[in-house]
Amino acid sequence: MGWRRAAISGVGVSRQGKLPDETPNSLAAEAFVAALDDAGLRRENVDGLLTMPGTKSPEGAKHYLALGEQLGINPRITGSLSMGGATAGVLIQQAALAIDAGMASTVACVFGDTAKTGGSRFNAAAGTDTDSWGIWGMFGNAANSAFGAQRHMARYGTTSEQLGWVAVTMREHAALNPDAIMRERITLDDHQSSRMIVDPLHLLDCCIISDGAVAVIVTSPERARDARSAPVDIWGMGQGHTLEKLGRPDWWYLPHQADCVSDAYRMAGVSPADIDVAQLYDNFTISVLFWLEHAGFCAPGEAGPFVEGGKRIRLGGDLPVNTAGGNLSESYMQGWLHVVEGVRQLRGECGPRQVDGARLCLVTGRGMTLNTASCLILGGTA
Amino acid sequence: MSDGGFVRPVRTEVNRGFWEGVDDGVLRVQRCLGCGELRYPPASRCPRCLDAEWTWQPVSGRGEVLSYVVVHQRYHPAWSDRVPYNVVLVQLDEGPRLISNVLPLSGADLRVGMAVRVVFDDEDGVRVPRFVSTDGTDGATEPN
Repeated sequence: MGWRRAAISGVGVSRQGKLPDETPNSLAAEAFVAALDDAGLRRENVDGLLTMPGTKSPEGAKHYLALGEQLGINPRITGSLSMGGATAGVLIQQAALAIDAGMASTVACVFGDTAKTGGSRFNAAAGTDTDSWGIWGMFGNAANSAFGAQRHMARYGTTSEQLGWVAVTMREHAALNPDAIMRERITLDDHQSSRMIVDPLHLLDCCIISDGAVAVIVTSPERARDARSAPVDIWGMGQGHTLEKLGRPDWWYLPHQADCVSDAYRMAGVSPADIDVAQLYDNFTISVLFWLEHAGFCAPGEAGPFVEGGKRIRLGGDLPVNTAGGNLSESYMQGWLHVVEGVRQLRGECGPRQVDGARLCLVTGRGMTLNTASCLILGGTA
Repeated sequence: MSDGGFVRPVRTEVNRGFWEGVDDGVLRVQRCLGCGELRYPPASRCPRCLDAEWTWQPVSGRGEVLSYVVVHQRYHPAWSDRVPYNVVLVQLDEGPRLISNVLPLSGADLRVGMAVRVVFDDEDGVRVPRFVSTDGTDGATEPN
């Protein structure tokens, strides 16, 4: 069952946090070396390089050139892509398709950033160059998600306290992850009393900002079975994008997220009930609620009650979510660490935060002005 | 756009009719001559039928608040001394949606579904469309 024509054979994570002596590409190289080691590969085995430039990468769409030179790779396939939090999933999908088509055998997908040291504020105004939303004071990523949160609250009775349970639960998980940046437990009162950023989103509804890098090695299932670490197969993949913003009345509700997950379910031949653990993109707490609804774990409008008290989404619950702490508490690697945690859960490597018997993991990503979404369904073989 | 100052609209061949309408106190959107679709933001072709011909169509300026936020974070120098201020997503009665504000900017009395009507506000010498609530009125009378 499942597509399973490509697999993840290695994951590598650089140091995370504030790393003022590093560059996006020095961190990316650190993660790449760690991923090679995890897979038991040599650099010469890698014949594909797909990259995501960091917010502080100067190269933009030519990022693959600089990183490939740094890593000494002359690949059969390469390129760079900027789709925000959806990029990790999309690049892994491109790698999987290239491998299935025989265009490459082992592809490294790499992201590195110095957003913390570089002072990335994620405060750009959306809209067009000439009709900027900044004319009306609409800046930054939080405001877009806050529009969605406000409307979800008005339509379905969702509350700020319910969003707070997402923050509290992700922090509980991070407390069990020695590599997480924010490990000190928080309470619902801490969430409620944290300062307002863009009402209805408080500070503790927002992800952290970090320096760091992640690399993921994608190869054929056959090659993955020779790797040092247990292989994780790609069962299903999907994308969905709403590139119009004001042009779509339901842009705020991100309908493309449902499209991308349903494609992945169909390809994997599974349903929400089959998923053992989920890594749901959490740039803001509200995003977890949207994903729970779009991925079919609850009906539209019911994600507020679903997350209340944290019982169902915490370790030991019906659907453990973001078991490493997510963007909210582990580190803000724009969804790349969600893939890494999915792989580690399916290998059974997660120690005190391990989900017993985890066999299938849903991983989602989403980016830009709510526009892009990607989904992977990963299956363990351990 | 400028560094530090008010983010100014940049007039182009495509959006000039919108901003000239605003100067004259009329809210206008593009109407596609191919399919009749009303559209905003201004674009050189219709996103529905891809036709490149359009005309400027005055709209009522009435609509409802689809969603709103209140910005507390100081994201931009021109707005830093105005926090907290609201930003709204308005659904015009005629169909198009736009980003704007409800006056007063610091007003906390907003709700999703609130009826609003366009007004024209001066911002550093530039006229910009903003909205006022018409909840509880027929919207026919001027505020203030």
